[in-house]
Amino acid sequence: MAVNYIPETLEEALLLRKAEGAVPLAGGTDIMVQHRRAQGIAPDPGFPVMVISGLKELKGIRKLEDGSVEIMALTTAAEIAASDIVPWHVRKAASGMGAIALRNTATIGGNIGNASPKGDLPQPLILLDAEVVLASFDGERRMLLDEFILGSKKTALQSNEIIKSVIIPPHDFTYSYYRKIGMRKANAISKLSFSAACTVKDGIISDFRASSGAAGPKVIRSREAESMIVRRPVEELAEIVPDFLTAWDHAISPHAMPMYRRHTTARMLTYFLEAIVNGAEPGIIE
Amino acid sequence: MPINCIDDKVVRVDAEAKARGEAMYVSDYSFPDMLYARMIRSDIPRGTIDSISVPQLPDGYYFISAKDIPEGGKNELWMIAKDWRCFADGDVRYVGETIGLLVGPDRNMLDYLAGRVKISYTEQEPAVTIDDALSLKGGPIVGEDNVLCSLFCEKGEKMQSIMDRADSVFTETIETGFQEHVHLETNGALITIEDGRYVIYVSAQCPFYVRKSIAGLLGLNPEDIVIRQTTTGGAFGGKEHFPDVLAGPLLVAESVIRKPIKLIFTREEDMLYSVKRHPSKTVFRTALDKEGNILGIEGTIYYNCGAYLSASYVVLQRGVFHANGVYDFPATYLKGIGVATNTFPSDAFRGFGAPQTLFAIETHLDHIAHKFGFDPAEYKARYFIRKGGETVTNGHIIEEVKLPEMMKKIADASDYYRKAREYGIGSGKGIGMSFYNHGGAFTGNGEQAIIKAHARLVKTGDRVRIEVGSTEMGQGFQTALRKIVANALGLDMDHVDYDNPDTSLVPDSGPTAASRSTMIVGKIAEDCALEMKERWAEGDFSVEKEYQHPEGHPWNQETFRGDAYLGYGWGAACVEVEVDRLTNEVRTTGIWTCHDIGHAIDELIVHGQVNGGVIQSLGYASMEKMENRKGHFKQSSMSDYVIPTSMDFPHQEWFLEDNPYQWGPQGAKGMGELVFNGADAAYVDAVERALGITVTKIPIPPEDIEEALENA
Repeated sequence: MAVNYIPETLEEALLLRKAEGAVPLAGGTDIMVQHRRAQGIAPDPGFPVMVISGLKELKGIRKLEDGSVEIMALTTAAEIAASDIVPWHVRKAASGMGAIALRNTATIGGNIGNASPKGDLPQPLILLDAEVVLASFDGERRMLLDEFILGSKKTALQSNEIIKSVIIPPHDFTYSYYRKIGMRKANAISKLSFSAACTVKDGIISDFRASSGAAGPKVIRSREAESMIVRRPVEELAEIVPDFLTAWDHAISPHAMPMYRRHTTARMLTYFLEAIVNGAEPGIIE
Repeated sequence: MPINCIDDKVVRVDAEAKARGEAMYVSDYSFPDMLYARMIRSDIPRGTIDSISVPQLPDGYYFISAKDIPEGGKNELWMIAKDWRCFADGDVRYVGETIGLLVGPDRNMLDYLAGRVKISYTEQEPAVTIDDALSLKGGPIVGEDNVLCSLFCEKGEKMQSIMDRADSVFTETIETGFQEHVHLETNGALITIEDGRYVIYVSAQCPFYVRKSIAGLLGLNPEDIVIRQTTTGGAFGGKEHFPDVLAGPLLVAESVIRKPIKLIFTREEDMLYSVKRHPSKTVFRTALDKEGNILGIEGTIYYNCGAYLSASYVVLQRGVFHANGVYDFPATYLKGIGVATNTFPSDAFRGFGAPQTLFAIETHLDHIAHKFGFDPAEYKARYFIRKGGETVTNGHIIEEVKLPEMMKKIADASDYYRKAREYGIGSGKGIGMSFYNHGGAFTGNGEQAIIKAHARLVKTGDRVRIEVGSTEMGQGFQTALRKIVANALGLDMDHVDYDNPDTSLVPDSGPTAASRSTMIVGKIAEDCALEMKERWAEGDFSVEKEYQHPEGHPWNQETFRGDAYLGYGWGAACVEVEVDRLTNEVRTTGIWTCHDIGHAIDELIVHGQVNGGVIQSLGYASMEKMENRKGHFKQSSMSDYVIPTSMDFPHQEWFLEDNPYQWGPQGAKGMGELVFNGADAAYVDAVERALGITVTKIPIPPEDIEEALENA
C-alpha cells in the first residue's frame, strides 16, 4: 500500500507533489473507480495519493478583469452548472455529467486531468480556447487546454505540477450549439458530444468553431476546417458547407462506431450551419 | 385494522426493513473466525490446463480445487443435467470457469495472492456465436454437432405441402442478444458448520435447488446440507441455478477448512462471470397466399447455451412453445436447437426463453403486414387465438382469451389508430403494438411429475406461520402469500408470519421461478388455510398439502404433445416514440400496457412488476448491449452495460383485464415474467415505423439504427 496524504494548504500540496510524487485526489470519482480491487477492500492505485479536497485556494469561480472566467480546479460539476458567469457550453456539459451525486463530487480539475476522450468538460472548454493553469512548487505556467491534453488519458502535466485552474477567455457568440449523446438519457457516459459556436458581424462570420468529444483519442477541433468559414460572408456559407464537412470528417477519428459518429457529427454540423444560413434568431440553436 | 379484503392495497411487508437498511443481505453476515474466498477463474475461453502455479501460501490460507473433492464425491453440479463442473479439471470451456478458490482471513492478502496464481494453458480456437457453433469452429465442444438439446413440434398440415402451394414464402432471420440480470445485490454465499451440519447462507431463488445440486460433491444427501436464504436483492432468474456455482466450491472448501467462509462477488465479477439470457436466432419461413394470409409458419430457433446445459433444454422448450406468439396459425412446424459455445453458460432470465421467440414472431408479423400494406396491429389481431384454439403442441387454450378487449383498451388510451395513420412511415414519429403471453408454471406436467410442491401452515395460538420453500427476491411474494393466507383464514395479515426459508425447517415448494409461486404455491397455501379455518378450534396444529393437478391437461413429455401450460397470462403493449433525426436518439413518448394475470392479488405489487418488467424489456430492445469478443464479455460495469433509468421511460399507463383463473388462489395466475415478454417488440415496431427501417436484431442503440438507415 502506498502512503496517502491530506495536505492543508496549496503550498503543502505542491511540496508533497514535488517531494513524493503524490497524485492529487479531489472528488475521487475516477481514481477510486479505476483502482478498485476486490469486495471489501480499499482501492489501491499503487502510487501515493494526496487528498486535496480541503484546499480552499483551489475552489471557486471568478471573473477576471479582461472578462475571462477562472474556474478553480476543485470546483464541482454541480457548482459549474449552477454558475451564472460560466459560459453556456460549459454549464450545459457540466449539468449533463453523470448523476447528481457524481456532479456534487467530481471536479473540473479531475475531469481534465483524467483526460478521457469521453470526458464531459474538456470538449466545450477546448471549443472556448480555455487555458489551464498549472502550479508547481517552483512556479506557475499556463497553456491551452487543447495542448495540455495529449491523447486518451495523456496530459502534459509534469510530475511536480497540479492543475490549479481553468481560464476561459471571453467571447460573444451569435449562435451556440451543444449536444451530448449518452448511452441513455441520464447518468451516462458520452457516446458522442459536439459543440459549435459562431459569431456573425455585419453579415460576415467573424468567428466559427466546432469541437467533437468521444470521436477520437482526444477532443477534436480543426482550425483548418474552421478557417474555411471564418471571414466569409453568411451568403457564401451554403456553398462552403460540403467542403467544410469533408474537412471535418477528415479530422475526426473514431475507433468504435465510426459510421454513427461520423454521420451524426456531420448531421449536427449541417443542422447548425443551415440555421445560420437561414438567418435563425441569434442565441442557442436547439 | 384487519386486512381481509384481497383487493386492498397494502404496504409490502419487507418495505420498511429494506428502506431502513435493516434487512440482512448475505454480505452483512459475519461469524467468528470467518474466512473469505476469492474465485480463481479461467481467463481463456477454450483450452487445456498445462499447469497451475500457486504461490507459497501463508499459514491459514488455502487453494481449493478439483483435487480437494473427496473420494466418493463427483466434480459436478446437478442442475437439470450434471454436466457443469464445480471446478474445471484438465481443460477449460469458457472464460470465467471456476478453477479454484483462494481462502484465507485477509482480503488484501487474497487479492495479492490471486494476482500471483499462474495458470498456463494450451489454447484452442473458441466457438462464441451460434454460427461458430453450427460451423463447428475449433471442433465440436459437445458430441459431434455441438447440439446440446433440441426438440420440435408440429401442428396442422405438413409444412412441405403448404410451402408447395403457397403464393410466396417469406424468409427472415431475427436475432436477440445477451442480457445481464443486473440484480442490485451481486451473487454471494457463506458456508459454515452448525451442529455438525453444513449450513449455507445464500442469496438465492431456490434453496432446495442448491442443496440438491452440490450434495454429490461430497457424496452427501441433499438433506445433509442446510440452505438458508438470506434477503435477496433481486434475481430475475440470475439466482435460480447460478448460486450452485458459488455454493459448490464453498462446500468443497468447507470440507477441508471447517471454518466459516464467505464469498461475495464484486459487480465486475457479477457482470463478467455469471449467467446471461440466451442469445437467439430464429429463422422463419412463412407461407403466404396472394392476399398476405398466413398458410403456415416454419420456424427454426437457435439458442446459444454456452458451455454447459444448465437449464437450457427447458428454456429452449419454452422458446419453442411461445414461437407462435398469441396466434392460431393453420399450421406450424417449430424446431428448437440449443448449441454449445465457449461462452459463460446461458441460464434462466425473466421470461425463460419466451421473450426471444415472442420478439421474433411479433417482429416477423409486423414485417409481413408492412409488405402487404396492412396495419401491423390489425393484421396480427386477425390471428388471435381463442378459447379452445389449438396450440403448437396440439393442446388447447382452456381459458377465455381477452386479447381483443385488451387491444381496445390500449388502442383507445393511446389513440393508436389516429396516430398510426397520421405518423405513417418515416415521419420521425412512430407508434407500435405487440401482443404476448406467458405459460404459467412449469412446462407440461412438470408440476405434477417432477416438482410435487408442498406447503405447510403452522398454527400457534392466534398466529399462523407459513412454511414454504418459496423466496422473496424483491418481487413481493412474502406480501402476496401472507395476504392470500390471511384472507383465506379471515385473519389480520399481521398475525401471519413468513420468513426466508431454511431447507431444514420448511417443505420443498419447488423453485421460485416460472411465475409459479402465486399460482401454484399460493393455491396450495390457500387450500391449507381453508382447511385450517375449518379446524381452527382444534388448538395448535399444522396443515400440509401437496400440489393437486387440475383434471384434464393431457401432456406427453416425450413427444411434446398436449397442454404445455395450465394457463397463460396475456399481454398487449403499445409504445410511441419520436426519433431525433440528427442523432438517432429515441424518445419514448408513451407506453400503454394491458395484462391479463387472472385476478390481481395486490395491485401495488402488480404495478411495480408491470413498470419494472416493461422497462426491463424496453432496455433489452434499446440499450442493453452485452458483447462477447473471442469469448470475453466486453461490458464489465454498470457504466458500459447500461440499463434504463426513469428518465428513459418516464411514464406508463397500465391496465389489467380481470379474468379470474379457475385454479389459482383468488383467481390469480402467473405475472412476474409475462410483463417482461412483449414491450420490446412494440418499441421496435414504433422505431421501424418512425424511420422506415427494418430491424431484425435487438438491441438497437443509435449506432445500430444508423446501420439500419444505411441499409434502408
